[in-house]
Amino acid sequence: MHNVVIVGGGPAGLSAALAAAAAGAPVLLIDSNPRLGGQYWRMPSDDVGQQGEQHFDLETGLILINAVKARKEIEVLSGAQIWSATHKDGVNTLRVIQNGAEKIINTKNLILCTGAYDRTLPFPGWDTPGVMTPGGVQSLLKGHGVLAGKKVVVAGSGPFLLPVAAGVVKAGGEVVELLEANNSARWLLSPFVMLENVGKLKEAFYYVKTISQVKVRARFASAVIAAHKNSEGNLESVDVATIRGNFKIKKVRNVKCDVAAVGWGFTADTSLAGALGCKQIVAKDGGVVVSADGNQQSSIPGVFVAGEITGIGGAELSMAEGVIAGINAAKFVGCKVEVLKAHRKRRAKRQRFADALIKSYPIKDGWISWLNDQTVICRCEEVSVGNLKYAINELGATDSRTAKLLTRCGMGLCQGRVCGRSVVDLVASELKISPTDIDRFSAANRPIILPIPLGVLAAGE
Amino acid sequence: MKNPDAIVIGAGVVGACSALSLVNAGLKVLVIDRGAVASGTTGAGEGNILVSDKEPSPELTLALRSRDAWFELNTDIGGGFELEAKGGVVISRSQSGIANLKKLSAQQASCGIKVVELDAKGIREIEPHISNSVEYAVLYPQDAQCQPMLAAAQIMRAVRKRGGAFIQGENVESINTKSGKVIGLSTDKATYQSPIIVNATGTWAGAIAELAGSYLPIMPRRGFILVTAPAPKIVHHKVYDADYVANVASSDADLQSSAVVEGTESGTILIGASRERVGFQSDLDVAVLRQLARQAISLFPILSNIPLLRAYRGFRPYAPDHLPVIGEDANVLGLWHAAGHEGAGIGLAPATGELIAAQITERKTFMDPTPFSPKRFKQESNVAI
Repeated sequence: MHNVVIVGGGPAGLSAALAAAAAGAPVLLIDSNPRLGGQYWRMPSDDVGQQGEQHFDLETGLILINAVKARKEIEVLSGAQIWSATHKDGVNTLRVIQNGAEKIINTKNLILCTGAYDRTLPFPGWDTPGVMTPGGVQSLLKGHGVLAGKKVVVAGSGPFLLPVAAGVVKAGGEVVELLEANNSARWLLSPFVMLENVGKLKEAFYYVKTISQVKVRARFASAVIAAHKNSEGNLESVDVATIRGNFKIKKVRNVKCDVAAVGWGFTADTSLAGALGCKQIVAKDGGVVVSADGNQQSSIPGVFVAGEITGIGGAELSMAEGVIAGINAAKFVGCKVEVLKAHRKRRAKRQRFADALIKSYPIKDGWISWLNDQTVICRCEEVSVGNLKYAINELGATDSRTAKLLTRCGMGLCQGRVCGRSVVDLVASELKISPTDIDRFSAANRPIILPIPLGVLAAGE
Repeated sequence: MKNPDAIVIGAGVVGACSALSLVNAGLKVLVIDRGAVASGTTGAGEGNILVSDKEPSPELTLALRSRDAWFELNTDIGGGFELEAKGGVVISRSQSGIANLKKLSAQQASCGIKVVELDAKGIREIEPHISNSVEYAVLYPQDAQCQPMLAAAQIMRAVRKRGGAFIQGENVESINTKSGKVIGLSTDKATYQSPIIVNATGTWAGAIAELAGSYLPIMPRRGFILVTAPAPKIVHHKVYDADYVANVASSDADLQSSAVVEGTESGTILIGASRERVGFQSDLDVAVLRQLARQAISLFPILSNIPLLRAYRGFRPYAPDHLPVIGEDANVLGLWHAAGHEGAGIGLAPATGELIAAQITERKTFMDPTPFSPKRFKQESNVAI
């Protein structure tokens, strides 16, 4: 029997691995981190002690991780990064780098659980050292036990701001402001969904309790719209605005801080799926995700997808999808196993919650009004709003791909992971059109998934 | 624009230069592209403006004029496309290769190309990181480079500023003729009248000729380019293996590749050059990438540690005899072709534009354009008159 190959060791990947192994399939789990758990249960990279306080539901994570480690059917390839992947004649070829050497893995069945990364929006000064993503602040805490600064502003939109603020408080930092761009009242829109996802409510209360113990109160309809540096070039303060429903600025005040953790939800990491040729779609929030059927199968038979890459929905939806993907992948390689009704029910429940979340935390175009011509959009290549406008208004770019090629915006080290999505919105806004799906796919895909040293490339066969 | 004097199809660098030359000659010009500016082969090139890779031939005459025309153009339209006379360094590592390179460079010198022979020490003075195995090279100071997309876009900007019009996103569906003469064209959105049409659609030029009921044998030759992460200045020129010249001239369908390595203003290093005849097949071919990486490292061992960031591919438009097609169609009057420049389209574009505009306006050309005439493919026409 062939291996079920799984990429990603977060909630979806771990659940998929266990489900496939339980069905009797041998599993190869490829994870880019040195330790299993993904972003959600990011474990310390060395022995800096237990970071249990940084996790709401570490128990579940530890249970899954230990179960994966205990199962002899599961082989784990940690610290392994896929730089390129191609699909030809039913076979998926993954080119993996581990410890500086390349390994080629060919497989007909694959489960992609590559997760998501923080969505950022540019604003004046966002390239100042000290401005970070909430995910960046959290992974420093979870992975290294390091607090990024003493006076922290946590801002942006989405429920993820809460655990990050709580993490800062637990680690002894001061959360000087906790700013949610949307209005909290939106939560009340779907009481039914809230009731059937009581677990999520408990999680939220856990964080709120932690935060309120130190008298931090969340402010709604507020955002960080600019950052200022001190004479050493580090973050000194941010401009905080109260904003309208469309994110346009009402009133601005200045807040001193040494770290600003600013995040706007998540963007699915679909590069690997895209390189293989899995069909992608544009989700309601404008993000590109991988299309999956009811069996978590992508448009390529035998390639299953689970977790955030099918749509941002949180760890619990990821686990529910991972189980279904794992069972179906095992079935695909010949195991006698079926997805249960209960599995589908659980997924449906989590999906309703995820849909409610996306509805509750929309990112409105008004953020574009926070920018000026000098604002840097692409930090890697130092491309400004003005450069983009020149490409459009003077050089005649009529889509974001052309604007990108004419400015090098998104062509640097991160390959547009940070700015790609914002550039699509900005270019469309300047042209007074709606972004097309092609623009969005073009910004989300990169044939070289991760940089690879030329020497390693040359040594391969 | 109503009743343009000429319509240029294609807003790649060749179309842009043709349009600019026509506008400068006083014509009302409309440019139509099915996509965006430079969205075809121009956007997939390195921006080579080379004289070093040309054997003595009419193409070399074209290349020499074009190289100077680029610098004139740079002044004329105000730059903005990273034009740089970085110089080319051609190396060879075999005795026979060195003998051939010496012979070629001597011939080139007699045609007016500046060549500087370099010994092992001389090479290291200008390229300190080159492999120990390189002991002979020829420096071509005239070789230059630009950012090709920016070049096309800046030239189109000048075309518009000088009264030309530019329509993007319209696909030409028919070339309208009457008694064997062009009267205009129709796109998926509109019909335009004009007695002159310039076909500057590169790899797709054959399809446009076919729309007019004529024939043009232009085919794609795929190439990959590797782009590294920005690095400190390691490679100062465009450095390539003399095998490249042989590969350019080859008609073999299989993969050929030779090391072409160059640093750019933005710090990234570009690595080419592969040539394959595989139609418009566009998938990423990792075997080709590996071969390019190996060849680049053999020239500059230090590149081994530099990360590959991106790879892109393009399709060079080539004619069976490897010469560009510049001139009026063999069968349809008023249909002009400016295509088939293979991998040299950026370099040859301004002079191509000059030749096209001079012929259309019946002015004196800087060289005899006969070798580039589409009429050389005449016998295969199937035009209905």
